[in-house]
Amino acid sequence: MAKIAIDPITRIEGHLRIEAQVEGGKVTDAWSSGTMWRGIEIILKGRDPRECWALTSRI
Amino acid sequence: MSKIKDDTSSIWTSLAKKGVSRRDFIKFCSTMAATLALPSSFVPRIVEALEKKQRPYAVWLEFQDCAGDSESMLRATKPTIAEVVLDVISLEYHETIMAGSGKSAEKALQDVVKNQKGKYIAIVEGAIPTKDGGIYCTIGGKTALDIAKEVCGNAAMSLAVGSCASWGGIASAKPNPTGAVGVGAAVPGITYVNLPGCPMNVENVTATVVHYLTFGSLPALDGEHRPLFAHGKIIHNNCERRAHFDAGQFVRKWGDEGHRLGWCLYEMGCKGPEAHFNCPTIRWNGGTSWPVQAGHPCFACASTNNWDAFGPIYSRLENVPGAGYQTTADKIGATVAAVAAAGVAAHAVIRAAKGTPHKEEKE
Repeated sequence: MAKIAIDPITRIEGHLRIEAQVEGGKVTDAWSSGTMWRGIEIILKGRDPRECWALTSRI
Repeated sequence: MSKIKDDTSSIWTSLAKKGVSRRDFIKFCSTMAATLALPSSFVPRIVEALEKKQRPYAVWLEFQDCAGDSESMLRATKPTIAEVVLDVISLEYHETIMAGSGKSAEKALQDVVKNQKGKYIAIVEGAIPTKDGGIYCTIGGKTALDIAKEVCGNAAMSLAVGSCASWGGIASAKPNPTGAVGVGAAVPGITYVNLPGCPMNVENVTATVVHYLTFGSLPALDGEHRPLFAHGKIIHNNCERRAHFDAGQFVRKWGDEGHRLGWCLYEMGCKGPEAHFNCPTIRWNGGTSWPVQAGHPCFACASTNNWDAFGPIYSRLENVPGAGYQTTADKIGATVAAVAAAGVAAHAVIRAAKGTPHKEEKE
């Protein structure tokens, strides 16, 4: 039973990690993780709603 | 992306191989001199440097980013910029566009850091979180902070591209949940240039690299570590709508007559009077347009803490300085308009009977 991890996953926007459980040459389970967080939802709280597009469009 | 060991060609040779004509190459060198605010007598020096110098190795790191700066580079429409930036530097690592993943990606980065120690350029996009041990951004199991320390710490120079890498950008907007900072703050003591903007302007980034290759030094920087050639002037002073500000002609509602006529966006929240950037002259997308030209107020994207320091993006700046005293744009506009009206009236006086300057109608 082997576990492999691919990190970073490239050619995507953002930071992604994939882990997979391999048994007898077959993937039996897999996990994905987004490995970056900025807290945009928290930053948006209390802001002028008219400017929120400018922040969320930069996710 | 080129192989590290085989590439010994000069920048010009590698451009020529790609089919860039001599004429376009000279044009590119002239554009770079103009961007750097150098007289045209410097063009031969730039040409000579790019003919002799090998492409410096570069790695592009992405941390708390949206890849907008990568897009800004890749979407540049002028072939002489988009292609040249990838030919002026030898880009060995860039997560969004590289072929390798996982371990092979990590190896490409490590090869440059080890084999080109002290010689490569580290380009950083995105902020670096410092809170809770830096866990809010990890790549290959390492924190962004550790990667930045290693990669930027061993580079000849680091370029912080975009506002996030320069001073924290959106990630650092109040209440800055992850303790995000820019490269200069995250890795003290390194040689670096901030090239903020949301996104950065690829012409300024390329010009900074060309300056480094030609003169062996960084361009002159301002107090925020930004190149003066790009951030030495206020947007307001170079704005194509400035005449409308001076004439007191303001957009007051989206889609009103003034908006359709391209009047000043100050009343709609434009931060141009306090923002230092060369967008009015250099523009985006190969010189096509820039936000104010497109009818949207500037929100000072390249100014430190712009999301919190200037108020909401559609709120009017108070007390815009003018003519040596503090006043509001309305007053400046009205005064200038009245003076202009006086001039027109005085001119009329010569031809006709004596008259008094009438009050200029603003709209």
